[in-house]
Amino acid sequence: MMEKMIFGRFMPGDSFVHKLDPRSKLLFVFAFIIIVFLANNPVTYAALFVFTLLVIFVSRIKLYFLINGLKPVIILMAFTFLLHIFFTKEGELLYHWKFISIYEEGLKQGIFISIRFLVLVFMTSILTLTTSPISITDGLEVLLNPFKKLKLPVHELALMMSISLRFIPTLMDETDKIMKAQMARGSDLSTGPIKERVKAVVPLLVPLFVSAFKRAEDLATAMEVRGYRGGEGRTRYRQLKWDSKDTLAILLLVAMTALLITLRS
Amino acid sequence: MKNMKLQKRIAIAMLSSISFVLMLFNFPLPPFPAFLEVDFSDVPALIAAITMGPLAGILVELFKNVLDWIFSGSPTGMPVGHIANFTTGVLFILPVYFVYKRLSSTKGLTTGFVVGTLSMAVGMSLLNYVLFLPMYTYFLNVPATTGTALTKMIVLGILPFNIIKGFIVMIIFMILFNSMKKWIEKQRMHYLN
Repeated sequence: MMEKMIFGRFMPGDSFVHKLDPRSKLLFVFAFIIIVFLANNPVTYAALFVFTLLVIFVSRIKLYFLINGLKPVIILMAFTFLLHIFFTKEGELLYHWKFISIYEEGLKQGIFISIRFLVLVFMTSILTLTTSPISITDGLEVLLNPFKKLKLPVHELALMMSISLRFIPTLMDETDKIMKAQMARGSDLSTGPIKERVKAVVPLLVPLFVSAFKRAEDLATAMEVRGYRGGEGRTRYRQLKWDSKDTLAILLLVAMTALLITLRS
Repeated sequence: MKNMKLQKRIAIAMLSSISFVLMLFNFPLPPFPAFLEVDFSDVPALIAAITMGPLAGILVELFKNVLDWIFSGSPTGMPVGHIANFTTGVLFILPVYFVYKRLSSTKGLTTGFVVGTLSMAVGMSLLNYVLFLPMYTYFLNVPATTGTALTKMIVLGILPFNIIKGFIVMIIFMILFNSMKKWIEKQRMHYLN
């Protein structure tokens, strides 16, 4: 649990995808989510699928982790697949048995939707598996920069994101400590009726809130002392660097988009 | 106090982390479909709204969902569920804040929760009808649930679920409020003035 909380689903590595700049990866994934909806016939869906497999191959992520990420979606996927199979009644009749009849169009739509699911889940998983949460935040900050003109406090928002990311592990640690302290006094969090368990949450929350506000005070003072005065002219510890690799990735996506547009019906 | 603004931002960040962690411990309520889940992640957002103003509460709801999106992704690729969760949270905490601002007592808080629960239940029912459920069906490319089926799902599912959810969060928060009343007032004085 602790490990999981520190990195999210991030798997360190040194593949081509790992080395990409978070900005190009974010752009890539957002654009990909949009172009997925361009596909509308067997060829385009096959192209999307092959493209995704290619990205998985290049990212050198073990298939096990991707399948793991699929778990919460699998029921939804199966459900929509079956819904299409049984309720879309168009095209040729393929199979008939008592009250079950499967039509060509239903099977087609079912497969299409499953592929759409798979590629979307895989692509977003690859993003979070190859990019640490803190890089994602850095990338988002830069990508949102244009919105500064609309008075959106991008730097402040990114700062808050980074701080809350940084404090999740500390928080888990603290929760663990408080839980043990409460258990030592005889409170029971894991058994009993729901009502009792819900009530047992309260003594856990009180110290968490109090220490959160105390920490905010300390951290604000510490930052002031070190000369923090907002985003203007701030230099960075983690520098983002746009490489030829990143241009290549974006060009690949442009090529893919062009391919989809020509092949779609 | 010169660093008040910074302090407030950091406190919002910390409450967002708490909120995100609480969101992970969610549980479905037996008779309702699995995508409707109860968690206590609205409690830190309520604390933020009451001690630091409505914007703080909204930000906690926002960060909680962005964090969850980064950490666990979203089934349809599009963060439809996260947007829905964010809207639910905002619809819930804002009324509580405004009523409590007028009437800063246990009674005011209770009234606030009743109004908040209603606004969340009614608001989400309407939004689900016109926006979220159609969005889901669009992304899944299934025949859209319309007419009576949709109305039935909302009246029997989403409306009572949100009322029960609001009630559960209210109980937790009231217990919390009773033991933290003084502390909450102190933080309010500190941050809101």
